[in-house]
Amino acid sequence: MSERGLHIANLTAGVEGNGILKGIDLDVKPGSVHALMGPNGSGKSTLAFSIAGHPNYAITGGSVTLDGEDLLALPPDKRAKAGLFLSFQYPASIPGVSVANFIRSARQAVKPDDLTPAKFRALIFEQLDVIDMDAAFLSRYVNDGFSGGEKKRLEMLQLAMLAPKYAILDETDSGLDVDALRSVGNSVSALRKTESGKDIGFLIITHYPRILQHIAADYVHIMMDGRIVKSGGPELANEIERRGYDEIREEVAARVG
Amino acid sequence: MSGNAGTSVLGVSKASLDALVAHFGEGAVTSQQRYDALARFEELPVRESIRGGRSWKRDLTKLDLSGVPTFETANVELDLEALLPTARRAGVVVERISLAREKHREAFEAAFGKAVDTRDDKFASLALAFQNHGVFIDVPAGAVVDEPIVVGYEAREASLFPYTLVRVGDGARVTILERFAGAENAPFVCAIAELVIGAKAHVTFAVDQRLARSTRIITTRRALLGADAELHLATAELGADHAVTKMRVAQKAAGSRASVTAFFFSAGDQHIDVETETIHSAENTTSDTIVRTAGIGHGQGRYLGNIKILASGHGTDASLRDDALLLSDGAHVDSVPALEIAANDVKAFHGATVGAISEEEIFYAQSRGIAREEAERMIALGFFEPAVARFPGEALRDELRAALAAKLVRGTSD
Repeated sequence: MSERGLHIANLTAGVEGNGILKGIDLDVKPGSVHALMGPNGSGKSTLAFSIAGHPNYAITGGSVTLDGEDLLALPPDKRAKAGLFLSFQYPASIPGVSVANFIRSARQAVKPDDLTPAKFRALIFEQLDVIDMDAAFLSRYVNDGFSGGEKKRLEMLQLAMLAPKYAILDETDSGLDVDALRSVGNSVSALRKTESGKDIGFLIITHYPRILQHIAADYVHIMMDGRIVKSGGPELANEIERRGYDEIREEVAARVG
Repeated sequence: MSGNAGTSVLGVSKASLDALVAHFGEGAVTSQQRYDALARFEELPVRESIRGGRSWKRDLTKLDLSGVPTFETANVELDLEALLPTARRAGVVVERISLAREKHREAFEAAFGKAVDTRDDKFASLALAFQNHGVFIDVPAGAVVDEPIVVGYEAREASLFPYTLVRVGDGARVTILERFAGAENAPFVCAIAELVIGAKAHVTFAVDQRLARSTRIITTRRALLGADAELHLATAELGADHAVTKMRVAQKAAGSRASVTAFFFSAGDQHIDVETETIHSAENTTSDTIVRTAGIGHGQGRYLGNIKILASGHGTDASLRDDALLLSDGAHVDSVPALEIAANDVKAFHGATVGAISEEEIFYAQSRGIAREEAERMIALGFFEPAVARFPGEALRDELRAALAAKLVRGTSD
């Protein structure tokens, strides 16, 4: 039995025969926050989708385990049941399915019968407060006609309601205004203070460091061209801000070369 | 009069009308009107408005009613006691249509034939010629009917030609639900619903068609709206072997508002056709049409939608949204929305989609722990929801959702 963690080892993956991930190693322990940063096209979202099991991404090598369980052998829904959550950069809309019904079905799937309807209701109203939305939000159709901020708030609502073991937030900060970003930050901070949320391991995928002002990362990794080229502590995010990706790319090239 | 006893069109003979007239005498429809209607039925072409170059399994041009019993006296009387007492308390007249002309002549004549014009409609003419059933509902001006009036048509071994005639007085509010159900051996239903709605009245007219899989049904629904009146017209076409529904709302008075809703789910070997049309010929009228069509198994269906804005329809605001969902390779649904606009200062929109369930939606639901099969079920039922949500009453909506879910499960085999 391996120790706990979302463990990614030498993962290679691609789309339609094009290799994108060229050997990713990452180890996210319970309760830790990892930031994965990199320029557009570096393969960050490919990593997120590959871990979650998107059908368009083909895994060509390596492994992903969640607390010892082989995620790559499971369909996407069983990965979620194992404790994985992906917050989408562009969440799909599901017209005709209300937010309340969707989250109830999801909660029932990942944690069957653990909440009475009354407790579920109390919990979801509590979480609505955290994301600054009112009860009408629950009867809207999932992401249908949502603004960018509303979509990300719904992702955070689901994160809180499903209380996974490991959460990947894919570009959750992209396209958000200051208020929405703060709301997302508050949501994650509030969750990490709860009993069910304190042990969640986070992998936060982002282009810009600004989300890290709201969610403090323990580790920062820089991804370029399908590889993690540099890892460090929170100070690495500041370095990206200061130097930019191009300069780091040159440094890495010089080192490899 | 036309037609000889020996000739027949689509298997309908004058002899069968002779027999019906001899039996019924003069009812809601006079003998003269019946024979005139039969003549029009015989003369008018079968208008197949959507073709798409496809050979359809069910098609009105292939209709053959020979051997179909055209009427029967037994079991076609409407159970008026089932119509709600609350309707009577509000002063509403609810009467078998066969007695309505005699008992409520003025009100009857103020409505009969005012919205339905059978001169250009072959199957409305057939329904009128053989009318053997139906109800007249007269809601007086200002009346507010709290509970829905439910008109239930039960098709049995005889053919059913029901006529629902509704007159709503100025400022009145009423909800009417028309249900079609019936036995496995029910052969044929040909129906008319005619709504004549007064100024500032507020009317919901919903149809729940869940006939047995052996039955063929052709319906014509027509509404005429008074000034500033509001109509919510909705039909759920889930039953029958072959169902054809044509709905038309005429907005000839200023300021009227209409919502038109239709959905069908063609499963197994069903074929369902729906047409909707809103006609805007007065100032500042609005209409909002939502249609959801789906096929599973070898189900087929067609939707034809039209928004027609005449030159006199200044300030019209009309929209039409129809989406089709294909849940199997063998299913086929055609969708043809159209706009005819002759006025300048109007807003008109139509949008249509046809497709299978999106893999992105399935993956999104799966990423939340929902199994693929359940995700597909949820998304398919959700597809109908914007249409279902516009039907009156949570109980009816839940019934429709359950009926859709059952068809989804049985879909391919049924």
